[in-house]
Amino acid sequence: MFHSLIQRLQTGGRWVVLDLGTVHSATIRELGKFRCRLEFVELADGLDSLNGEIDPRRIRQTADALLPPRRTEQTDIVLCWDLINYLNQPALTAVMECIALRCKRGALAHGLVYYSAKSMPQRPSTFIPVDDHHIIQHLNPGIERPAPRYSPEDLARCMPRYSVERGRLLRNGMQEFLFKL
Amino acid sequence: MFEIGKKGTPEAGTRPESSPARTESSPPRSSSAPTGRDAAVIGPSIHIDGDVRGEEDLLIEGEVGGTVQLKNNSLTIGPNGKVRADVYAHSIYVDGYVEGDLFGAERVHIRKSAQVKGNVTSPRVSVEDGAKFKGAIEMDPQAAQGGNRPSAPRNAAPQQAPAKPVMQSQPPKPEQPAVAKTGAAS
Repeated sequence: MFHSLIQRLQTGGRWVVLDLGTVHSATIRELGKFRCRLEFVELADGLDSLNGEIDPRRIRQTADALLPPRRTEQTDIVLCWDLINYLNQPALTAVMECIALRCKRGALAHGLVYYSAKSMPQRPSTFIPVDDHHIIQHLNPGIERPAPRYSPEDLARCMPRYSVERGRLLRNGMQEFLFKL
Repeated sequence: MFEIGKKGTPEAGTRPESSPARTESSPPRSSSAPTGRDAAVIGPSIHIDGDVRGEEDLLIEGEVGGTVQLKNNSLTIGPNGKVRADVYAHSIYVDGYVEGDLFGAERVHIRKSAQVKGNVTSPRVSVEDGAKFKGAIEMDPQAAQGGNRPSAPRNAAPQQAPAKPVMQSQPPKPEQPAVAKTGAAS
């Protein structure tokens, strides 16, 4: 599915890509082939504050502060990687709602959800685009933690503005999703 | 206002004789980062609030707030350097901390020890793995040339965007512990 995002970029024009993960040289190299603005958030740095808050309004404020400022030029593509798994449901709702407000209608969001896998790394993984337009997951070492194993129904409830464009179960137990706004 | 390189140098260790005035037609200099030996230095104990302008390469190891403008020269923000400023230079190399936007007429290179909060606009941008970066990288040469950047102050580095951006990158760190490939052909 990452391949299909690249194919979309290859259609030409200018694109705004929001990457919720850690900056990686391979991502810059891959997306640098296209006319785009690449925004990096490092959402992992804000996970504790997002998950630790109870008041939905405060969660929303925290999410808004972590994300890039809203601009007149809206986002076309969102790279969520596996960060969805590291947000509890209120935080996931707030983050994806704030992202939706920054996106164009029809924008795509790519994400990976631990679905059949019962556990996941303690911290989000790094995902590295490789030459054939696929991605490689570099797992962080150390102890694992239970995966929330969000179902499509959970995701639909937390992300009401998004619809599943495509989804498929991977051999490593993750479900790969392409969401459309 | 600090005019580095015009009325002497701010600190020992600089070599004003190595920095003749350059013009727009000067040939491009080496793409390597300037060293302390051939660049003016703002040392670790120096704290500047205001605009820093100059016509020679500059190494910042201290703290600078305001703007930094090196029209035709390179700026290196050393490992101890802290810059809270918008930076306009021919080439920018970051090892330390930056909070502000970076405009590199030729290139911006963010090294693995760097922490950058701000937007980067340059025809060549490279970020080493391990660097902390929060902000945007403008990879569209058309946007880099005009529309999507804030208005630069006078004497800011001119944008010399080539027809196509060149994105350079460092290879993944070899010490990555485990690898799993996902996202097979779809």
